[in-house]
Amino acid sequence: MKKNLPILCWAAALLISGCGKTDDTLRLFVWSEYVPRNVIEEFTKETGIKVAVEEYSSNEEMLAKLLAGGGHYDLIQPSDYAVQALINDGQLLELDHSNIPNLSNIAPEFRNMPFDPGNRYSVPWMAGFVGIVYNAEVIANPIVGYRDVFTPEHAQRIVVVDDARELVTWALTAAGIPINDVSNENLATVKPLLRDWLSKVKVYDSDTPRTPMLTGDTDIGIVWSGEGARLFEENPKFQWVLPVEGVHMFVDTIAIPKTARHKDQAEQFINFILRPDISKLISDEFPYYNPNMEARKLLSEKQLNNPASYPPGFDITSAEIFSDIGDQAAAVDELITSIKAE
Amino acid sequence: MGLPATVASPAATSHQRPAGLASWLLLAPMLAWLTLFVILPTIVLILVSFGERDTLGRVVYTFTTENYIRAFEWKWLKIFATSVWFAFLTTVICLLIGYPAAYFIGRVGERWRSLLLMLVMIPFWTSFLVRTYAWINILAHDGLLSAVLQSLRLTAGPMSFMYTPFAVVIGLVYNFLPFMILPIYTSVEKLDGSLIEAAYDLGARPIHVFTRIVLPLTAPGIAAGVILVFVPAIAMFAITTLMGGGSNPTIGEVIHQQFTRARNQPFGASLGVLLLAVFIFSLWLTGKFKRQVET
Repeated sequence: MKKNLPILCWAAALLISGCGKTDDTLRLFVWSEYVPRNVIEEFTKETGIKVAVEEYSSNEEMLAKLLAGGGHYDLIQPSDYAVQALINDGQLLELDHSNIPNLSNIAPEFRNMPFDPGNRYSVPWMAGFVGIVYNAEVIANPIVGYRDVFTPEHAQRIVVVDDARELVTWALTAAGIPINDVSNENLATVKPLLRDWLSKVKVYDSDTPRTPMLTGDTDIGIVWSGEGARLFEENPKFQWVLPVEGVHMFVDTIAIPKTARHKDQAEQFINFILRPDISKLISDEFPYYNPNMEARKLLSEKQLNNPASYPPGFDITSAEIFSDIGDQAAAVDELITSIKAE
Repeated sequence: MGLPATVASPAATSHQRPAGLASWLLLAPMLAWLTLFVILPTIVLILVSFGERDTLGRVVYTFTTENYIRAFEWKWLKIFATSVWFAFLTTVICLLIGYPAAYFIGRVGERWRSLLLMLVMIPFWTSFLVRTYAWINILAHDGLLSAVLQSLRLTAGPMSFMYTPFAVVIGLVYNFLPFMILPIYTSVEKLDGSLIEAAYDLGARPIHVFTRIVLPLTAPGIAAGVILVFVPAIAMFAITTLMGGGSNPTIGEVIHQQFTRARNQPFGASLGVLLLAVFIFSLWLTGKFKRQVET
């Protein structure tokens, strides 16, 4: 049975997909809310290459669909730790840097990230931080770190991203434990703290945590910096603070999976999005931290002065980055789910 | 699943011809569809549920009952109970609103009937996600309901109804109500008015007419409506996440998480199989209830 199963699935898949036809469309598998429509239209206009876009809302969702096969994606957007996991498993194609001359636009500190030294397999798309956003008209207390968020006064006024690893990271940081040390003992250590914190949370939302802030359902939250930047754009009363206990930075990349059918066109697309004018279009719509130095020169004062996008005086090399935790992902998820269900 | 029985029953009853080649040919597209989209996926789901996973979350096909043993831990049972409770509340409220509405639509004149049915169907023209977002605008802290209550001076300040179990049930009732109204309507429409008149002529009181005549005759519609609401409501995850703010996880959300963020498809599959078992049980229960009312 074990042997027959793949054949069975393959036969079913073949029937559904109409006998695996090949075509010349470049297939993107990307984060939702991350690739502006006009960037893709411009690429098709300039190169004549048709682009099909499919979206996901977590690295794990992407991994599951990619590894199940059948998608034949030409480009994916894994984050730091997912890049590491994919490289270790031999799932990414090595990039031909001679096809990507615009790589030189990327800031030196992003050219040698620990998960992919020398950008052999991946190119940074955008980076961002996880920080605290609060409505300064309502929150009077000074806010400097995670512990200031989860006070009794803020109970049921808090929004956080719905991401188990992220929630655990804050508690680990507050307890002085390195964020990639997610052993069962460390999870047990931070459980009481997490239980206390999560009992005060009103909304969990990873996709648009800015929504409950805008409707006034919450007044303080811990969210992605792009969300914080959009809130600040909307109204400067939404202040942004990077937690004093330690900052988690994420780096989202663009890479070519080994099952890709259009490697040349995929590299052409990577080179295209590294062009300063195109990279600026991405920043205009999704105000994360742009690692493209040439594109940064094109941004307005207002964009560059947004404290959530480009935190003033913050040394980004001091931020911590996720590495892959493999099997422990399930333990982290179970911890959070069981606390929520209490 | 109920298929072999339906295929076999014509042969079993004496007044119908046995199923010949022609009947099987006519059934072939349906059988192919069922095999491809119901039976095969269910088999895959069951196989995965006995499997393990590697570090990237890929399924390794072995045979372990560990996923099922884990599924019966208290924390998952509690989440399951919450989901059943939400689904139960949704079904009861849908029935309380849907039955009178369906009865009225079924008994009203021909001219009004099509218009009213149309009104029940119109929400289906947009995605349920769009409709759920509309509710967020109504129930939020700075939303419509809060504004109305304030202008009527019923509350002192802005009031939020979002991100509570109350909001989850509203979202579920709103989305599933048509699934209750439509099957009950079909039963009511077939109801023979002369039976009701006869009951009154024989001196039955309204309450008895309802419990002895109307209710038994519309029971098939009620049973279908209950199944159509209760079963999907247990497993629903998008509405509960959006309206509930994610702080009361439901079994649908947990299964979704296992297949995505937790990288644990075998465990998600075992929860899915157990959910399937609950569905089959509730179908059996409703079937039994239906037979009891009819006899």
